[in-house]
Amino acid sequence: MSATPTVGHRPVDLAVVAARDRENVIVGNEIVRHRRASRLIHWSVSLTFFVCLFSGMPIWSPIFGWMAAFFGGLSAARVVHPWAGIAFFLFSAVMFFHWLGEMRFLPSERDWLGPKALEYMRYEGDDSEVGKYNGGQKLFFFATALGALGLLLSGLLMWWPSAFPRVVLQLSYLIHDVAFIAFAIAIVFHIYLGTAAEPGTFGAMTRGTVTRGWARLHHPKWYRDVSGDDGSRRG
Amino acid sequence: MTNGWVDIKNADVILAMGGNPAENHPVGFRWFLEAKKTRGAKLVAVDPRFTRTASQADLYAPIRPGTDIAFLNGIIRYALADKSRYHEDYVRLHTNGPYLIGDAYKFEDGLFSGFDAAKGEYQKESWGYNPDAKTKAYGVDPTMEHPRSVLQLLKQHVDRYTPEMVERICGTPKETFLKVAQIVTSTGNAARVGTITYALGWTQHSTGVQMIRAAAILQLLLGNVGRPGGGVNAFRGHSNIQGATDMAGNFEILPGYLKTPTSAMTDLHGYLDQSTPSTLNKQGWASMNYFVNYPKFMVSLLKSLYGKDATKDNDFGYAWMPKVDGNYSWMYMFDDMYRGSSMRAGGKEPGPEGFITFGMNPVGLGPNSKKMIGALSKLKWMVVVENLETETAQFWKAPREYEGGDASKIQTEVFLLPASSFAEKDGTFTNSARWLQWKWKALDAPGDAKADQEILARIFLAVRDLYKKEGGALPDPILKASWAYTNPANPDLGDVLKEINGRALTDIPDPKDATKMLRTAGQQLDGFGQLQDDGSTMCGNWLHSGCFTEAGNNAQRRVTADPTGLGMYHNWGFSWPANRRIMYNRASADADGKPWDPKRIGIQWNGEKWVGDVPDMKPDAPPGTFGAFIMLPEGVGRLYSPVLNDGPFPEHYEAIEAPVKNALHPNVTSSPVSKRFSTEHDKYGTVDKFPIVCTTYRLTEHFHYWTQHHLNGRLNEIQPGFFVEIPEGLAKERGIANGSQVKVSSARGAIQGVAMVTNRLTPLKIDGKQTWQIGFPIHWGFGAAEGHRGPLANMLTPSAMDPNTWTPEYKAFLVQVEKA
Amino acid sequence: MVMQSLEIRRSSASVWGIPSGIRTLPTVSKYIDTSTCIGCKACEVACQEWNDLRPVQTTQTGTYQTMPTLHPEFWNLIRFNEQNYDGGIAWIMRKDQCMHCDDPGCLAACPAPGAIVQYANGIVDVNQDLCIGCGYCESGCPFDVPRFHATTGKMAKCTLCVDRTTVGLEPACVKACPTGCLQFGTKDDMVVLGNQRVAQLQSAGYKNAALYNPAGVGGTGVVTVLAHGNHLDWYSLPADPHVPILTRLWKHVVRPLGMVAIAGAVIGAFGHFTKFGRKEVPGSGDSGVQPPPA
Repeated sequence: MSATPTVGHRPVDLAVVAARDRENVIVGNEIVRHRRASRLIHWSVSLTFFVCLFSGMPIWSPIFGWMAAFFGGLSAARVVHPWAGIAFFLFSAVMFFHWLGEMRFLPSERDWLGPKALEYMRYEGDDSEVGKYNGGQKLFFFATALGALGLLLSGLLMWWPSAFPRVVLQLSYLIHDVAFIAFAIAIVFHIYLGTAAEPGTFGAMTRGTVTRGWARLHHPKWYRDVSGDDGSRRG
Repeated sequence: MTNGWVDIKNADVILAMGGNPAENHPVGFRWFLEAKKTRGAKLVAVDPRFTRTASQADLYAPIRPGTDIAFLNGIIRYALADKSRYHEDYVRLHTNGPYLIGDAYKFEDGLFSGFDAAKGEYQKESWGYNPDAKTKAYGVDPTMEHPRSVLQLLKQHVDRYTPEMVERICGTPKETFLKVAQIVTSTGNAARVGTITYALGWTQHSTGVQMIRAAAILQLLLGNVGRPGGGVNAFRGHSNIQGATDMAGNFEILPGYLKTPTSAMTDLHGYLDQSTPSTLNKQGWASMNYFVNYPKFMVSLLKSLYGKDATKDNDFGYAWMPKVDGNYSWMYMFDDMYRGSSMRAGGKEPGPEGFITFGMNPVGLGPNSKKMIGALSKLKWMVVVENLETETAQFWKAPREYEGGDASKIQTEVFLLPASSFAEKDGTFTNSARWLQWKWKALDAPGDAKADQEILARIFLAVRDLYKKEGGALPDPILKASWAYTNPANPDLGDVLKEINGRALTDIPDPKDATKMLRTAGQQLDGFGQLQDDGSTMCGNWLHSGCFTEAGNNAQRRVTADPTGLGMYHNWGFSWPANRRIMYNRASADADGKPWDPKRIGIQWNGEKWVGDVPDMKPDAPPGTFGAFIMLPEGVGRLYSPVLNDGPFPEHYEAIEAPVKNALHPNVTSSPVSKRFSTEHDKYGTVDKFPIVCTTYRLTEHFHYWTQHHLNGRLNEIQPGFFVEIPEGLAKERGIANGSQVKVSSARGAIQGVAMVTNRLTPLKIDGKQTWQIGFPIHWGFGAAEGHRGPLANMLTPSAMDPNTWTPEYKAFLVQVEKA
Repeated sequence: MVMQSLEIRRSSASVWGIPSGIRTLPTVSKYIDTSTCIGCKACEVACQEWNDLRPVQTTQTGTYQTMPTLHPEFWNLIRFNEQNYDGGIAWIMRKDQCMHCDDPGCLAACPAPGAIVQYANGIVDVNQDLCIGCGYCESGCPFDVPRFHATTGKMAKCTLCVDRTTVGLEPACVKACPTGCLQFGTKDDMVVLGNQRVAQLQSAGYKNAALYNPAGVGGTGVVTVLAHGNHLDWYSLPADPHVPILTRLWKHVVRPLGMVAIAGAVIGAFGHFTKFGRKEVPGSGDSGVQPPPA
């Protein structure tokens, strides 16, 4: 007797599960956008980021002192923070190289630094040539990589205050702060766009798949490449 | 000190020379600063190195080690050149400046008259005053113009010490020297006072005593002796070294500086006859010559030693006292030990076979360490009473460079008795200011450690028991010794102090009022004035008498009231003699008993008696009755002193190891009477092989040898190890970098340490030749804590010494320096 | 440990910078007269003894100075310096320690609420209970004083013996000083004493004698008499110490702006949502959201 595997009471389509280990394939009505490894990396970065955030913010300002309670107090938060930071950086580095190949900027995407981003936020403009990642995402990718590096370097100096000149330290605090602020703003939009603003996006990072409609809407070129459907053929 | 620590605040000028008080006496140094801050006093530091003291000085003058006499004689010459530069009235009144010296006295070609070249000693007969054969009176010329007057002889003697000569000998630039001379002699009048402070930087030379003499002469000329803010002030090297000396720390003295009898003095009468000075001064005012009371001091001492057994009939036990003929000072003792034969017996008798050392570390502190170690190896037994295992207690473990030889062949049996440290016992400390101050025990000694008095007492009682049981050749000195303590095995130090103070043994009638008793039997004496020579009083040390009276233990007094405003504090502790805070204080007043300076009154005559400090004078003797220096048979201070072993006036002699010939008399370079030794370890270096002048010293961080800081990580922390201070120029010449290892060698050995390259030591131009000088501190040894060991500084120091005190010449010798 | 909670003038990382104490006390100060300091290091030992600091392993490197710089177990260091002066030498000995600034850079930089406090009498102290050992104070101190203690994980520095001074005793170093070059009293008295001594030095020929009480940090709780006031470098003292501008920029400009910016981003996202709503797949049944698993 062959039994269908279940999760809880739900049967699981093993083929789909297996298929999710490969990206850019169509499984039923869905397209695998992020295979498990990608998602794992993303969430590792995400998790360590939040540990850093909650352990760092109470040190940043007493207004966020309550966050230290998650770690058992400010002293513990201050011990956790640098290590979490290291972890965050390491995962960020893995993520960087994992996605670097797909994040090459095309000349046409240069506009994303300016008007194109605003156009995008107004849900306007022509997205027909957007591949798996749009210019904004690539921009975010590189910005976070740079931010992670800045946080790491300034953070390392701050970790051994006795070993560096005072001015260098003072600059480190400033750089760490600025990098964090920029990072935080970017993350706010990252989360917003990935959840509330664009339904279906969050699933790409949870179960790894998107619907055909989502793909057609947000990443038409990618959709065409994956499905072979250039709009003239329907199958 | 003639004066006291606090009294330094009263000075207008302070000459710190032959010492580095900021380093070695930092607590007392506060009074230097007090004088500077409150009076605008000028501090002049004269030292081979720019020291911690120099850092505080208004003027610093560099000087080559061992040439202080030339420097001081230069100042004396400068002072005598102009009557405004010395206190003429004072000199006439209070010194032997006007006295005439016999014609036999001469000084020629570096030698005083009476030199016996064969013995290497002076016969002092020719040095005396010129008394009339019948009257014993001798000439005095109040104008001090007579060519044989002391003042003129002094003038003549120092005439060679021109500023140019001082520069040539000492290396001190002429201008700097003249500035010093000008500041110091600014006190040569009634209105101003200056003090001179010194320490072992003067004592530890082959001419040490004469350096101090030169300072005393200068102070007498300037009229600064006996006055608040004046004096010649020796800073003693240990917290109780003054007390130790007072209580017969040296072989040639008994407690209170009474003389050790020799075998020639066969009975008490003969001894007293030779020891009691007869009054010399038969003209002008008379000398009080207080030492005519010598028999009272001595008999009372004998009574304290032998108690009831000391009777008039048996010379108060005088026969039981050890008679000392030879020289038992440090270096002679070790020389005897090393050679295995006694110098005393002309080398015929065997040397000492045993050695007891209490609270000292001979291997560390004696000069020429190899010889010290060699000497101890020849003993049969040695008892070391210490709280740590010093180098002495483990001398056979000395590293190879000390040439101690094969430890398995050394037969010396060593007993280390654990002793308590200073904080683990009570008793008194007598400080440099002659103040006896009681200290209370702070904590119990660890383990089996015992207080010194208990160790001594137990040994004594055991030895006495042996004599009782077994008899012996000469049992009486032991069997008759008085040991009347409440607890004989561990005498209470209060009991001992009472004994030192002295008490009446029978009722003593008051000579002024027959109806009264001065003291009744058993009462503590008020002071040495009550001592008797008939056996009715006993006293362990006449000089300390008054320290424990019927009023109680005066060393425990802590009253901070100071009605004089001069920092005398008469009710704080007890200051010998007689609780006097300034010695010779009669000299602080003029012929009429009026103070030279009404703002700084030592004592003054109020018409009935002397008031102020405890007078150094019969309290009710009107001015003009006695001379101010009551302990001297002349009654006046000695510009000219015919009693020392190396001359009546100080003369510059080079150290035993010197880089140049004596510029004044090249045929007599070093002191003709200084002592040297002749074993294979007693090597003396010459300038061709050892061209660099070297001196040794201490650091404030350690104060003493590692025995003080061994168990205290904090002191090791703030001054972690041995170093050698090297002037920048020399370091450059020899390629020595700051902090690198450097080797210093003398004729006697070599040591190695970290180079401290500094500008605080400079090359000096000596006799036209650039001469380098270096120095290093003494605090380390091979027995110190792991990580803080260092060489014994005295590996390099010579077996040479002063002919009066037999103090080794630690402060000036020759070395070579090279990169290690 | 904070000694007197009612006597706190200022506290690090207090949200609005409001003093948390009630009592006012006269500001105290230590007086250091470098011109009468003989560098005996009694103060160094007294400091270590009183505060029960462990001995630090040092080595002789060719100087009288105990160690190159302050240390978490060594809060009081005499700095030795030999300089050529007036044809001779000036051997400078300056007691280095926490200056107890009126406007303390350490306190300004400290991120841990209450970890650095300034008592009502002006003493600046590290509250070991609250210190998180981040070392920010090191960057804020213009005198390079606070040190990270590896064992406790906290910052360590001179407390001006707050445990002694609170009960009316002088600091341990002052007690031990043999020459009187260290004094302790109200700031006003110490400044008077200092000015007197400076005048004395000036009349004794030290024309440039000065009292070091730098205005940049609002004055210090340790006033120092310098014979060579024109050569602050001889004493290793900064000419114009103040709370670092970068620290101020970071704490007073970047941080509030950053908070506004982040809050702005969140509000902006909300605003965007209300105006533009979701970006959904138009028409068709495919909302873009993945269906639940079959």
